[in-house]
Amino acid sequence: MDKAVHYLAQALMYALFFVPLVYISHLPTHHHMDDDVAVLKVAIRHPGKIIGECTSVIAGEGHGMRPAAMQRVTEICPRERSPLQLELIIDGETLYHATIPATGLHSDGISSMYQQFTVPTGPHHLQLRMNDDVAVDGYTWQLDQDIELQPAQVMVANFKEGFRLQ
Amino acid sequence: MKVLIRRGFNALDSLFSKAFTPAWNPMYQLGAMSFFYFWIVAATGVYLFIFFETSISGAHASMEYISVEQWYLAGIMRSFHRYASAAMGICVTLHLLREYARDRYSGVRWFSWVSGIPLLWLLFASAIGGYWLVWDVQAQYIAITTAQWFDWLPIMVDPMASNFLNEATLSDRFFSLLVFLHIGIPLSLLLGMFIHIKRISGARTNPAKGLAAGTLLAMLAVSLWQPALSQAPANLDVAVTEIGLDWIFLNPYPLISSWGPGQTWALLVGLSCFLTILPWLPSRREQQTPVAVVDPENCNGCGWCLADCPYEAVTMKEHDYKKGHQQSVVDPNLCISCGICAGACPSSSPFRHVDELTTGISIPGFHIKELLSLTENKLSELGTDEPRIMVYGCDHGSVVDSMASNSVASISMPCTALVPPAFIDYVLRKELAEGVMISGCCEGDCHYRLGNEWMDQRFSKERMPILRTRVPRDKVRIRWLGEQGTKQLGLEVKEFQAHLLENVQADVQLDLVKIAEASNG
Repeated sequence: MDKAVHYLAQALMYALFFVPLVYISHLPTHHHMDDDVAVLKVAIRHPGKIIGECTSVIAGEGHGMRPAAMQRVTEICPRERSPLQLELIIDGETLYHATIPATGLHSDGISSMYQQFTVPTGPHHLQLRMNDDVAVDGYTWQLDQDIELQPAQVMVANFKEGFRLQ
Repeated sequence: MKVLIRRGFNALDSLFSKAFTPAWNPMYQLGAMSFFYFWIVAATGVYLFIFFETSISGAHASMEYISVEQWYLAGIMRSFHRYASAAMGICVTLHLLREYARDRYSGVRWFSWVSGIPLLWLLFASAIGGYWLVWDVQAQYIAITTAQWFDWLPIMVDPMASNFLNEATLSDRFFSLLVFLHIGIPLSLLLGMFIHIKRISGARTNPAKGLAAGTLLAMLAVSLWQPALSQAPANLDVAVTEIGLDWIFLNPYPLISSWGPGQTWALLVGLSCFLTILPWLPSRREQQTPVAVVDPENCNGCGWCLADCPYEAVTMKEHDYKKGHQQSVVDPNLCISCGICAGACPSSSPFRHVDELTTGISIPGFHIKELLSLTENKLSELGTDEPRIMVYGCDHGSVVDSMASNSVASISMPCTALVPPAFIDYVLRKELAEGVMISGCCEGDCHYRLGNEWMDQRFSKERMPILRTRVPRDKVRIRWLGEQGTKQLGLEVKEFQAHLLENVQADVQLDLVKIAEASNG
């Protein structure tokens, strides 16, 4: 084959390789979410209440402790924390209801969760309820609020000494 | 399916060979091209890092500076960085499919195959990390989706997605970790790539110079035509609705969104596990023949088999009983039974004055004495009406069995480089045939990596054992046409016969003239 024809053929092959490559490296566009919805993110990071109460160390009751430790410790406190009971209701419909266990081998760490929901834009009534103490019936924390969601808006509900909407 | 893929590659091979010549054919050097693209990505990445600001607020702006204000250098570097990584992704995928379709993944080759699977994950992780750093809407989408994908695993104590709640909660600290990962993961990939080729002698990690030059030129043209640009800056207060997506590396993301993280993990991990155990799954491919055996009595310790073994299965040790001499040793775990070593052995000469032909190293089931008797028997059965041709072919290249006729004998073997050059000399010198045709895999695409390269070098006297000068070159032809070139080889055998017939007739004419001159004189 003539050299020029060879190079021309190669140019064509390079084009056949790179043109589709360039195309699929950004097209076709991916439709991830409709325009008429918003995103509600619920992210809670909160330690539940300790389950049980501290008990005094009475002389003679070692509780498996070494004698040296017994001299210093006057009471023994449980470590296990309550799991969180969390509920999200929008316009009367329960979108999320879950028990979030405490982390850690002894369930003595914080409980944390993340969930996101797509919600139609417009006005809504939002209710968030949480129980962080198994000793209490019902919910220990609540949020009842009317919200107005804009298209593609991201609303975050988190918790810091009470529910907050951002 | 394997047959279909192989046919597809056969068609592509022919097409690319016509345009690029076999020596530059990118389909024969997909691994080397992957290395080449990696180095482009690494070199351009170092340059881009100079201008890149490793913070949430500065990342997108610094990428804009790179692409807009310094488009002529940094912008082009960015395009090279992006497109070379995409090209590497495609080359690696084709490389995997090709090795699968050509049954080059089982037996001794399991190591290269299995070590390649984690490289796919590292390659994808490297590329995804790069997209993340730009911190545009595509990065926002993959950051949140990746976080949700990993949060599905029970190993996460705190949900990773909590890092991307909104603009107010976003922290530079996580971003610094990403920069670290985008350097660390590609370095791990490079290490893995070297492990991947560890068991291969003379692994080809650089493509042909002409192909490399052409690729760089093509990439420059593409970078000027469609420079890699960022999308709109990320804003975590606004949800991503529609984005441009790199479908080469980010193709699992829509799956995560639609199927959910669990099913996507199951698919990708399941696919990886399947690929990992593939070399040991029952299949209809040929079972590997017994490995090469060394005969110490006939091994003179020359080391030619060591030099020619494509899988480093041959080493040398002190001779069993000849003091001061060495002998070859075959590692059965590395030997692939190609027989290239037998073709390299100087003892494999049918001219040797021994009662029974023996050699220093051979493949059981295809011993050199069996090859000789097969050659002699097949050629003795041929008629003498037309020039006789001996066709040696390989089991993975052009199908030579179909070419046998009254004047053509054919023998197929694991690799044609198993034929010692002395055999060709012997066949022609003893006038067992008028011509010898050597065929096999496509040029540059030997099933056993180096068979046709070594054969070419032996014939051109660049590699021992050489084809002696006394062998008339017009009576020997080498054609590397591959499986897809079987028909073409058949035509060329006929053409070879016609050429030899012309020579014979010319010789007869010359003899008649000489006789006439002698009688007149």
